[in-house]
Amino acid sequence: MSTANVSLDMPDPLPGDLAIWIFIFAELVVFGILFIAYAVARSTHVALFDAAQLAINRVFGFINTWLLLTSSYFVVRATQAIRNDRRQICAYWLTAAMSFGAMFLLLKLIEFHQDASRGITLSSNLFDMFYLSLTFFHFMHVVMGMIILSVVTYKAYKGRYSAANHTGVETGASYWHMVDLVWVVLFALVYVMH
Amino acid sequence: MNYQSQQVAKPYFIAALLLFAGQIVFGLIAGMQYLDGSFLFPALPFNIVHMSHTNLLIVWLLMAFMGAAYFIVPEEAQTELYSPKLALITFWVFFVAAAATLLGYLLLPYSKLAAMTGDAILPTMGRGYLEQPLPTKIGIVLVALSLLFNITMTLIKGRKTSINLILVGSLWGLALLFLPAFYFPVDTVKASYGWWWVVHGWVEGDWELILGSLLGFILIKITGIDREIVEKWIYIIIAMTLISGLIGIGHHYYYTGAPAYWIWLGSVFSALEPIPFIMLIVFAFKILAQRRREHPNKAAMLWAQATPIMAFLGAGLWGFMITLAPVQYYAHGTNFTAAHGHLAFFGAYAMIALSIISYAMPLLRGRTANSLAAQHREMLGFWIMAFSMGVMVLALTGAGIVTVYLQRAIDNPLPFMQVQEKSRVFFEIREAGGAVFLLGLLTYLSSFFVAGEYTYDDEAKKALKA
Amino acid sequence: MQQVFTKAMARNIFLGGAGFFLVIYLALTYDTWQRIPIRDHADRITPAVARGKYLFDTNDCMGCHTVNGEGAYFAPELGNVYKRRGPDFIKAWILSQPTGVAGRRQMPNFHFTNDQIDDLVAYMQWLSNIDTNNWPPNIQG
Repeated sequence: MSTANVSLDMPDPLPGDLAIWIFIFAELVVFGILFIAYAVARSTHVALFDAAQLAINRVFGFINTWLLLTSSYFVVRATQAIRNDRRQICAYWLTAAMSFGAMFLLLKLIEFHQDASRGITLSSNLFDMFYLSLTFFHFMHVVMGMIILSVVTYKAYKGRYSAANHTGVETGASYWHMVDLVWVVLFALVYVMH
Repeated sequence: MNYQSQQVAKPYFIAALLLFAGQIVFGLIAGMQYLDGSFLFPALPFNIVHMSHTNLLIVWLLMAFMGAAYFIVPEEAQTELYSPKLALITFWVFFVAAAATLLGYLLLPYSKLAAMTGDAILPTMGRGYLEQPLPTKIGIVLVALSLLFNITMTLIKGRKTSINLILVGSLWGLALLFLPAFYFPVDTVKASYGWWWVVHGWVEGDWELILGSLLGFILIKITGIDREIVEKWIYIIIAMTLISGLIGIGHHYYYTGAPAYWIWLGSVFSALEPIPFIMLIVFAFKILAQRRREHPNKAAMLWAQATPIMAFLGAGLWGFMITLAPVQYYAHGTNFTAAHGHLAFFGAYAMIALSIISYAMPLLRGRTANSLAAQHREMLGFWIMAFSMGVMVLALTGAGIVTVYLQRAIDNPLPFMQVQEKSRVFFEIREAGGAVFLLGLLTYLSSFFVAGEYTYDDEAKKALKA
Repeated sequence: MQQVFTKAMARNIFLGGAGFFLVIYLALTYDTWQRIPIRDHADRITPAVARGKYLFDTNDCMGCHTVNGEGAYFAPELGNVYKRRGPDFIKAWILSQPTGVAGRRQMPNFHFTNDQIDDLVAYMQWLSNIDTNNWPPNIQG
């Protein structure tokens, strides 16, 4: 394939498709602005933020961070596998990544339910507003990432990817890493920083 | 023009321009009432003039969009329109209904109109842009359904280009987003929240998709650039529109009774709303710079090039000025909003409508382009309208600043009417700007009566002389 | 990059992005819908308030006035007029229109009955108690 040869000559290109990178950039801008807004709000209401922060479930936050990091690692293994043309292995790693993503979603749903029963709503206080909007916005990104990964996994099982042609895997992986990266920042900012 | 049935667009475009002229006349009367409160009172109270002004705006833009759809959809689908006859009947129904509604406003007290048209059965009247009596609202839905049926059937039997899919899809969206106009609960906060589904949904969402598809069509036609490139850009631009604009609706919810979280969410996302307009400018200039042919219709090219700039200034820049919650706290409900509204409606929607009319009308009249003299007249009309609109917008912004300062910000705020009196000079400038705008519009309209069509000889002669 | 950025991808970003944010908007709207009746004291919407609102709309008051900043900018804010002027002033004002002062902005006389004016005042009283996040900045609206 001529295009593949061209890409081999290029110095270290971005993996995956350009479209997903534009998308990832836009997403990071949105999250960046939301994080800045959080920081601004916190700087003017430090006591309130510190007090309200105690009410949210930090243990779940830790577990979820571990789940997403592990899931991201599985996606890395999937990408490595397909680069070596090990198509079935790639599909297995993707499945593993998705099952960890699903566990994240499940745990987060339980946490949302817990929050609601503890009276944490979008209107209870400023911290809760930010905590719920940021985590829900991120939650929706995980859902989106799961949709993308499920398409990629399906194609992997069907053997549509190979060492020469696996843009789809890299594209899905890039998006999944972005979702993971945003969570790590979010976790540090909202759950941990005191 | 490649298909005979595209001719049905012509009455739509002509009616649009007539209603546009009517809109400006009512605008001038309303502006006059700011200077002399008893002008035409009690025959025409301000609210009647105001609703005539805004409703004519909506109707002429819808006329132009419909005309554009009947012109573009067959051309893009490479087939005749499904039913030209239905399109013509629909035109007359819409035109007569609009005229009857306007007469109802002008001849009857509004409460009498409401009583006569069954507003008590399903209350829908009495809020901005949606003042129409129930039968008119139902009529709008039927007209929209007729249009959608016609163009969707055309699309189904023809080529499905992205321009066509976006245009037809966004016209479906336009009709769907009109339906909340029938939802008007007693709870005023819910009513206001739902009112924005129509108003924000149209002007900061769906209509931007229409704008994108019309501009894309015009640019493909006049530049000869590969449609793959144009359509790809349009998709990315309208993606940004909805990504920023859907939650960006929150900037209407800060101070109208909705929960406080909208202050943060609305500020963050509406701050992104100028991005698609910036992209639109970059896109249009890039495409025009790479054009592969010199289209003889220079006027259409001017409109197509100026639309993204004016849209950015009106919707992007003036919108951004009042979108962040701390600013809007002072600027909400002042002439700041009127300034933004005027420049955004003109820059984005009036100008895209005039762009497609500029491109299509010569073709509908059986020529590639108008004579150079007619094109120069048209472009002169553009410059006068754009300049005078700028004057009006700056004047309204001035009036907004006076209100923000004297009525909102200072220690001993003044009552509304006193502040209005102190803004008088700005209302005078606004009215002068409006008068010049009417001159610009007349100049523009007169260009249709400059005889002759474009010939290569004219241009060659002119080039040799220079 | 092995593939160029194609139109299909641009379309997917459009559809995906639009669907994504629509879901988020609907979720937020669901929450807002639970909150509004608390913030605007929907339990205080009496039949008089509802009748007053109907008169308010069918006479197109928002064609000149604003309510919580929405409407036209020709006449004063009515969301807080009950607190600014009080019920007696509002009644007297509506009845005495138009002022007929040359050059001053004119409000029509709508020929309301006393009961109707009471309903309008009830509606404006209800409006004045909506939690609007502290807007307007002061009583002048």
